Amino acid sequence: MKLETNRAIASNQFSEALRGVALDGEGRVYAVGDSSVKVFSSEGELVRQWKTALPGQCVAVDDGGRIWVGEFEQVEIFDAEGRLADTWKDAGRLGLVTSIGIRDDDVFLADATARWIRHYNRVGEFLNNIGDRHRKGGFHIPNGVVDFAIDADGILHVANPGMHRVERYKPDGELLGHFGRFDGRDPAGFPGCCNPTNLALDSSGRVVVSEKAGPRIKVYDPDGEFLEVVTDDLFDPAAKNMDLAVDAGGRIYVADPVALEIRVLSRRAETVP
Amino acid sequence: MVRSRLAGLGLLLLLSLSGLPAVAQQVEYERQVDVAPSEESIGEGYVTPEVQRPRPRAMHWQVADVVLLGLAMLAAAWLALKSRRRAGLVALSIVCVAYFGFYREGCVCPIGSIQNVAVALVDPAYAVPYYVIAIFVLPLVAALFFGRVFCSGVCALGAIQELVVLKPVNVPPRLDRALGWLKWVYLGLAVVFAVLPAAMRDFVICRFDPFVGLFRFTGEAWLLILGGVFLVAGVFVGRPYCRWLCPYGALLSVFSRYAWRSFSITPDRELDCGLCTDACPYGAIEERRAVRTDCFACGRCYRSCPVHHADKADDAARPAA
Amino acid sequence: MSDERSRREVLGTAARGAALVGLAGLTGVLAVKANKTYAWSIDITKCVNSKLGALGVDVCEACATDCVLTLSAVRAVNEFSECGRCYICPAYYDITSAVGPDGLPSEKLCPRDAIEREAIGWIDPDDPANNFYEYTIDEKLCNGCGRCVMECKEPAGLGSIRLEVRHNVCLDCNRCSIATACPEEAYERDALSTV
Repeated sequence: MKLETNRAIASNQFSEALRGVALDGEGRVYAVGDSSVKVFSSEGELVRQWKTALPGQCVAVDDGGRIWVGEFEQVEIFDAEGRLADTWKDAGRLGLVTSIGIRDDDVFLADATARWIRHYNRVGEFLNNIGDRHRKGGFHIPNGVVDFAIDADGILHVANPGMHRVERYKPDGELLGHFGRFDGRDPAGFPGCCNPTNLALDSSGRVVVSEKAGPRIKVYDPDGEFLEVVTDDLFDPAAKNMDLAVDAGGRIYVADPVALEIRVLSRRAETVP
Repeated sequence: MVRSRLAGLGLLLLLSLSGLPAVAQQVEYERQVDVAPSEESIGEGYVTPEVQRPRPRAMHWQVADVVLLGLAMLAAAWLALKSRRRAGLVALSIVCVAYFGFYREGCVCPIGSIQNVAVALVDPAYAVPYYVIAIFVLPLVAALFFGRVFCSGVCALGAIQELVVLKPVNVPPRLDRALGWLKWVYLGLAVVFAVLPAAMRDFVICRFDPFVGLFRFTGEAWLLILGGVFLVAGVFVGRPYCRWLCPYGALLSVFSRYAWRSFSITPDRELDCGLCTDACPYGAIEERRAVRTDCFACGRCYRSCPVHHADKADDAARPAA
Repeated sequence: MSDERSRREVLGTAARGAALVGLAGLTGVLAVKANKTYAWSIDITKCVNSKLGALGVDVCEACATDCVLTLSAVRAVNEFSECGRCYICPAYYDITSAVGPDGLPSEKLCPRDAIEREAIGWIDPDDPANNFYEYTIDEKLCNGCGRCVMECKEPAGLGSIRLEVRHNVCLDCNRCSIATACPEEAYERDALSTV
């Protein structure tokens, strides 16, 4: 909970909503909210911005520098200058896209309408669903978003808030395991009806999660052992579904949906092993 | 979108007006997907159950109240005008206190309905349901036929006071008459407060009802105490609320003036003894005649009347023809 | 019968007739608009237990404590179509209580135990967390204290529970003591089409 740096970027840039944050290899910060994408330098300077066709729900940057924005029933793909390169639709299948993961030839789209993750290849051919082994029709998301992150080995780490778990899947949908349990007192557990809501991985595989009611940021080690609460008093009590990104230096970027800015948190050196 | 934009504007406006920091109360929550699971995803033929909706007012209670009010007034009329027995009227009082008072907790009552009727006449947006109309009108109609039979033993407020009159003292007639004007003032104030614009509207009759708290075993302490004071005072001074304060009694005193048949004391076989006058705790017998506008048809005068008793004894002794 | 007496009787009959006609007219005027009726109801956007943004505030139990009825005319109602059917429902469990051996909170929220919890639909034989649960409020037990409403509110829950006035129970007092006590002026008397 000892924050070394605690600064905000993108303040006063969004007026209605701030839903997604992502980083590229050079530390630039991509934020989606309202109906636009805004790119900031690592120092927080607004570099570029452009409009999206629909309100953006999430954002990801691929290794080619292209920016993927998840929207309702479609994904818009922009080049680094913000020119629309492609629009993916998958009528009858793809619903509200709340998280995007791109790795090699695979594209994973979290579909909050179906409550599954859709697995496509790079050219947009549907391959399989992830999470449909739950016969309940997918992840339990009373909070309304499915969020996941892909680790260095290509394993998907998915927040399943209604079950108070972080689940791990292979790209073909096989469930490898999960960690997490309910606990309303012990910070090692996930409190409330449905937590964690969002999740990101840092460069060493630690799992950073955000929770709602009350909003806080926590870190687990790659095996699911609880490490620490990064902050539990920084956000408005109404804040929920706070999207996360972690940079190479371990700084955590949190999209604050109430203050409409991105909080940049970094822990004191001694707490980072 | 528009809504959240409006909310944003509202937030800005609020911020600029109040100078407060971030106002969490203004947060609009987004529900971009149907977060409640669908019947299909719940599976196994699950059907969403009916939500417990607010049910309409229990019609049978309304009908029962109106019918019982009518029947009780007919019973009071029969007991007061035909059977002429106080014991029956006392029994009716007990039944009505128990039902209209303690069981139905004093609501709806004709006294309070004055206000609702007044509002309904003045405010085009306000309406009263049928049964409130019936409860307001029925005792007035009854008064046009049989006098104040509603007061006799039907009105829970009247009946509970009737039952505690144990050691009545005579109130000087001039004081009685002067205090009697209070009910008109109360009636006027109640109507004025009721017909104020909705935001300022106040139902003062209900607000200051001294007995409803006793019927409900709850309420503001000072009103409960006031109710107790009225009852204790009522042991010595007959029905203080009815005689001097009741706004509905004011209306009834007008309507009962033109009653078709009203309470009368064995006029044909009068003894001029004046026992009945002394027996009336309400000062409603003048010159050995019941004053129909003030008479609560309690039947004490019968009980005190030697002629009446002689008649009843004759009736009992005489074999049925 | 003297002239004076018969004259008085005629006048009395006329006055009585006039009064009856007057009452009939009054009844008619009132009855014309008696098709709708006024009833007390709760504005859930004002009630502090359900209004959005009122977070971290104490629950208001005026509906339970201030009604003149022994058991308040106000009940909590779960709008099933909006309910998340959560495994751990913050309105059912006291989610701050210690976790029991079954992994669930050890205590319930409702002081009157008026909420029933039942797994619905397809049941996972191995994993109770993988089920949906129906939360049904027993109207006979609920006294409208509003605790579950407060806990179900966004963002902790989905806000599917709200307080409603039961018109079949409500005495419809002109001086409603809940309305007098309500700190948010959420208790309103309005024309309702459904009553």
